Amino acid sequence: MKFGKRLKQQIEETFPTWRDQFLCYKELKKLIKLISSALPPTKYGKAKAEFVYMLNNEINKFNVFFMEQEEDFIICHKELQQRIKTVMDKWSSNGSRTEYTDEMAEIRNDIVDFHGEMVLLENYSNINFTGLAKILKKYDKRTGGLLRLPFIQKVLKQPFFTIDLVSKLVKECGNIIDEVLFPIEEDKEETKEQKGAIMVATEPVKGIFRNTVVALLTMEEIRRVSSTKDHFSLPPLNLPHSHLIHSFQLNSPIPIL
Amino acid sequence: MPSSFLALTSFKDKYSTSPSSFQVSSGREVMENSAPLQESSLAPSNGTLGNSSLSPSIVTDHMCASALPHVQHSHNPAFISQSSRDLASLPPLDASFSQSTASLIRTQGNKDVSWSLDRLQMFLDLPENTPAPNQLVESSTGVLASEDHNKKTNWQEWADDLINVVDPDWSKILDNTNVLNPRVEVPKPSGDISKQQPQFHQNQLVPHGEFSSHAYPSSTAPPTKPRMRWTPELHEAFLEAVNQLGGSERATPKGILKLMNVEGLTIYHVKSHLQKYRTARYMPETSEGTSEKRITSIEEMKSIDLKTSIGITEALRLQVEVQKQLHEQLEIQRNLQLRIEEQGRYLQMMFEKQKKVEDEKGGVPSSASDDLLAPLPGSKHPPCNNGKSDSEALEQDHSRTGIGPGNAGTNEDKSSSGVSTKQKMLETESTVHDESGFSVSKRARTEK
Repeated sequence: MKFGKRLKQQIEETFPTWRDQFLCYKELKKLIKLISSALPPTKYGKAKAEFVYMLNNEINKFNVFFMEQEEDFIICHKELQQRIKTVMDKWSSNGSRTEYTDEMAEIRNDIVDFHGEMVLLENYSNINFTGLAKILKKYDKRTGGLLRLPFIQKVLKQPFFTIDLVSKLVKECGNIIDEVLFPIEEDKEETKEQKGAIMVATEPVKGIFRNTVVALLTMEEIRRVSSTKDHFSLPPLNLPHSHLIHSFQLNSPIPIL
Repeated sequence: MPSSFLALTSFKDKYSTSPSSFQVSSGREVMENSAPLQESSLAPSNGTLGNSSLSPSIVTDHMCASALPHVQHSHNPAFISQSSRDLASLPPLDASFSQSTASLIRTQGNKDVSWSLDRLQMFLDLPENTPAPNQLVESSTGVLASEDHNKKTNWQEWADDLINVVDPDWSKILDNTNVLNPRVEVPKPSGDISKQQPQFHQNQLVPHGEFSSHAYPSSTAPPTKPRMRWTPELHEAFLEAVNQLGGSERATPKGILKLMNVEGLTIYHVKSHLQKYRTARYMPETSEGTSEKRITSIEEMKSIDLKTSIGITEALRLQVEVQKQLHEQLEIQRNLQLRIEEQGRYLQMMFEKQKKVEDEKGGVPSSASDDLLAPLPGSKHPPCNNGKSDSEALEQDHSRTGIGPGNAGTNEDKSSSGVSTKQKMLETESTVHDESGFSVSKRARTEK
């Protein structure tokens, strides 16, 4: 139930509008249990079709949501570029310094949040894929079926998992950020800890920073050595600055995980 | 400052492709996608479709309750009410089965499970009570039964059939020139095409069939709005058209559509995109996600007060750092997952090939061949396989064959070549795993 628990936490932490868009992992697990225990083996074929139908519904849900978000991101990305250009043009001609700073500050806020949201969509894509893979594995295990391999091949090609565009946007956005946010010297680890704790404590509920930290920690958790490890399992996660990220939740009054 | 200008101009260059190169071949997609469906010879009778189309409503109703208001262009409210009426008119449930499931529901005490139980009951009882829509159910059972009895050797074909079966051929029901294909089918061509030049992928429209609204081809269903996948290039073309027409407020969807002149693009696509664009301009937030989490003014002041203690810029830097890390890790994880699946697929194909070779040779029984063939179909092995995957079983047999007793003359060559192929596979497997950080001890563990 470890993945199920982690997924549930992730869902609880996510934006309200995203909450219903995740994989219904628990329900699918129950369905598998039902299929394997309550049904006579003669009806397996129909139950299997039923199960596949449910999975297809889930996939459809992911695709629809993902493509909507992707479209929003394309528009937003362009708009941010436009805003930056406008501010730059204004300032280069005859704008006041304070005006420039104010506007740039707003752009900086928005662009960082935009970057964060895109990354969270990548996370959405991945965690749902992981969930699907796990569910399929469970299905094969409990019913002796061979559903997993071929079905996953289909999933790999789905829009919600082909995230090349979003990935590209994230990288470009990251580059813009590096230019817009003037580089400051590296902070010491301790001060970083404090800052992180403050950020988590003061951020609006279900904020992006908190969400991102949750996602990282969830990933780490899911990839700890599992009991059912096989050739399809991922190796443990090696997070750089892992202790730093963990410290964010230790100092925070509101526990993340 | 100058560096920022440079950065901006480089971004602009990236996006300045000529819009006239958009030739969306949605027509071709129709051919590609409808063909497999016809091959599986589904008989879309009303009863069957009425049944299979029930699940979306149940799914949306019980599973993901508030998904509806958030997804703009999909599920039709009228459809939901209609389907609940259909629920009431279902055939009577099988007595014994409903008893056991009723007790299950009670013990679970969970509404979530009840929908799946109901669904299964309906699905299972239908062939017994209503002879008419038998065809679809039979054919699906037929496909699956053949898999269970290991008659289908090409699992890829079978997988295609399986997924085709559960996606009714909607294009047959509605006389619609637009591509309105079941969701699983549609992305297939785009997925393949994306491996080709990136240019073509950017031109590709993936109209996404909204099957929920197709379920009831009555007048209550709204005009179908196939979902498509926007690209930056397409958006650029959109912007050009909008600017030519005097800005986002003055431009009309019809005008934009005409100016853009992109094959396969419908006015609905343009309409919804224009709406999004207008929202983005006049509410410079990232998207609805951000605006949703807008906090109250009191909290906002408190947060700003505390944040100034660490400096807003530094807070932003920290946020970016964490975000970049997550992005990086996700990228790595995704690549790993792709490779793992690729590997699994490769192993399975080798299995298939091996089996074919064995079959062609006339199936001369030998201990070696039997060992090789044994783990192939999951159906031959009961679920109590200790959760071993096929590839793990393969490894064990490999070691068994390697040290097995001397084989018959003709088989020896085959087996040894088979063994050497498997050896290579396992070697590549281990290199992949080593690259991805698997420890050697893990390998030893699985081979126990």
